[in-house]
Amino acid sequence: MKPTGATIFAVGVCITAAAFAKVDLVTLPKRDMVQLTIYNSADMTLVRESRKLTLQKGANKLQFSWANTLIDPTSLEILPKAQADKVEISDLTYPPRVGNLGMWNIKSEVSGEIPVEISYLTSGFSWRAFYMGTLSPDEKTMRLEGYVRVTNNSGEDYENAQTRLIVGQVHILDEIAELARRQYPYGRPIGVPPIAPVVMKGLYAKRALMDVAQTVESAPAMAEPKEIKKEGLSEYFLYTIEGTETIRNGWSKRLPSFEVEGIPVVNLYKYEEERYGNAVVRFLSFKNDQEHKLGETPIPGGMLYVYRLLDADQHLAFEGQSNFKYIPVGEDIELDLGPVANVIVKPTLMDFKSDHFLFDAGGDVIGWDEIQTFKIEVKNRRSLPVKVEIRRNFCTPHWDIETSGDGAFEKVDLDTVKFTVDLPPFSKKEVRYVLTTHHGRRAD
Amino acid sequence: MRNTGLAGLAAGLTLVAGFTLTAEARIKLVALPDRAATVIRLDNPQVTLIEEERVLTLQKGLNQVDFSWNGVEIDADSIRLSFRSHPGGVNLLNVSYPPDEAALVWEISSAEAWEEQVRISYLLRNIDRVIEYRALANKEETCLDLANYVILRNFSGEDFAQARVLLDYGDALEQGINHEETKRVLFCRQTAVPIEKVWKFDAAIHPWDPDRLTANVGIPVSYRVVNTASNGLGRFALWGGKIRVFQDDGHGGTIVLGEDTTALVPIGEKLEIYIGDSRDIVVMQRKMRDKQINVRRNSGNTVVLYDTDEIIAAQVENFKDKPARLTMIQHIPGQWDMEKCNLEYERKDAGTLEFRLDLPPRGKQELVMHYHRRNVRGKP
Repeated sequence: MKPTGATIFAVGVCITAAAFAKVDLVTLPKRDMVQLTIYNSADMTLVRESRKLTLQKGANKLQFSWANTLIDPTSLEILPKAQADKVEISDLTYPPRVGNLGMWNIKSEVSGEIPVEISYLTSGFSWRAFYMGTLSPDEKTMRLEGYVRVTNNSGEDYENAQTRLIVGQVHILDEIAELARRQYPYGRPIGVPPIAPVVMKGLYAKRALMDVAQTVESAPAMAEPKEIKKEGLSEYFLYTIEGTETIRNGWSKRLPSFEVEGIPVVNLYKYEEERYGNAVVRFLSFKNDQEHKLGETPIPGGMLYVYRLLDADQHLAFEGQSNFKYIPVGEDIELDLGPVANVIVKPTLMDFKSDHFLFDAGGDVIGWDEIQTFKIEVKNRRSLPVKVEIRRNFCTPHWDIETSGDGAFEKVDLDTVKFTVDLPPFSKKEVRYVLTTHHGRRAD
Repeated sequence: MRNTGLAGLAAGLTLVAGFTLTAEARIKLVALPDRAATVIRLDNPQVTLIEEERVLTLQKGLNQVDFSWNGVEIDADSIRLSFRSHPGGVNLLNVSYPPDEAALVWEISSAEAWEEQVRISYLLRNIDRVIEYRALANKEETCLDLANYVILRNFSGEDFAQARVLLDYGDALEQGINHEETKRVLFCRQTAVPIEKVWKFDAAIHPWDPDRLTANVGIPVSYRVVNTASNGLGRFALWGGKIRVFQDDGHGGTIVLGEDTTALVPIGEKLEIYIGDSRDIVVMQRKMRDKQINVRRNSGNTVVLYDTDEIIAAQVENFKDKPARLTMIQHIPGQWDMEKCNLEYERKDAGTLEFRLDLPPRGKQELVMHYHRRNVRGKP
């Protein structure tokens, strides 16, 4: 970690020595290890670092400052990692009229070097997942490549940090960035705590470019992409990137997450007027399970760019893109690739009549049936077989249906049915049904 | 003690001395010494009570003691003075408030010339405490270590070099705290507190058809802790505050699970900490039937009363590789009776049904409720 424009962990010996002349001030040495655990459902990163403190026997003060960073001061914690029973963290004081500074009072029964872990939450890091899918020419299988992109806008350079990413929806009460900007860490007893602006210094570009050049020179001749280890914890998944990463402030880093060849996929086309209008929408469907060469971990939501391999020369066609949500292990995936013109669904009302009228004593109509005959033409204008799913909503729970023609019929809920039709290349089929809806007293 | 706060006390005494001597020659002046013991009592969440003890050197007869508090927000009517050494031999005769000053003058009658220990108490504004918890759950999510911190915030204008800080339970904290200072102190820690992990779906709150949404529907996940002695707690009520929950990641580190606020949890009561949302339990609920039956009409053929015939079906799928117990809340308004239900439920109130679904790893459960709402009034 570099104490650059954003100065973290500065040790104010002069101020402290004057204010607390009777106790020893411990300077904070360089960290031995830093670990970042970055969340994507909230602007929050847990930073853990290991350092070795040299403590005197008796009272010690450890000063910690974090000007120009986005650290939540209420999250600061220090834990002795050895001789914990002899080192007591008495309190953490945020001194008056000094911003971005905390002072730990530590009582030690021993003198010497004590390893400690300092942890805190910071804002400014983010990560997101995105994917590239490449369909085989027959669109039966897909190669899926997953990536993660980590961005550091925390105001601090983190060098050689073990980087971990959390997949999951964490519940937090306060924005870490808001906590970081508070004038007083826990606010004041009354009133709204004022928010002080954070001035982020932008002196990184030049130095960062130099670093890139150095990295290229020192890179081994044949380096392998880093692996990302994935494991479940509570309701989350933890992605641990192999080795360490250096992500400078203002920079992003893209890392490969996984690559799977030959995932069987189904081209599914959907038609539902209430959702998609008159368009047929193409979906690419598969499942996050072992049968589909996946299923080891959930797949974090993100954008998938879908290409299709055209020929042996590896030319590609862009088929569409879809932003999908988190997919648990075992769950179906349906990627919405947008409306298409080469699969056609055309419902037509072929006949309408009303019948079974009921009248009250005054001769007014109090009940009747409406009988509608529909024909739905389904056409596949592609050179590949397709599956089409047609939903019809009746807007009333009082109905009866008689189906004929092609397609499998299924009741979805009290006013929705679904027809599923499989079509060979360049073919057409026809779904027919007679819908009787009951109105007024006929609905009783 | 700073010069701006109750440090004004000494200055106040000196000023009044000249005035008093001129006006009332018989009255003896008493110098107010430094505070001996100070108690900051934070057991009331709204106001903070300060108690400070001092030793006054009283003359026989009448004495005047001036107490001022420039720059410090004291509720003047709350100031009390009590005599500790000779309660029967010292009387407080009256209290005078000088114009345009944050001050008062005590007129004290003393039977003898002696040293009297007094206690001055008052309500002080802008000094309080915040409670914060940090919990570290084990990897298996069966128990957690609960650390309780008290955060002292002093913006009162007064420095307290050393004070006994009292909450309504536990040992006193010996702490100094200066004006504009915030201090976080570990108050108590309890290890291995058993927890129950609960998932909760409420049909009145959560969407019924997640397939139609572009974002995942999260099922709220909570840890349930009971404040009892058998759980290592139960010594006192847990005060309300923010609670941050971490989890042991099994590699010597931690992750943040989430955070929540809790209200005061009396002894024996449950603390439920909402940590986040699960996207690995998916509930798809649909209404499969909704019909009017037993319809009754008035002479104008308008429906005035009817029953309903309703079926609700909910498919619950656990995509996790661990079992989970889902609490499912269903609501049926008005008068109703259940014709058939494939799962047992507990009727929490007239219109609320609570189901407990034990979901096996990567398993499914289905709830089907067939019920009738009775005597529903038709719209006029």
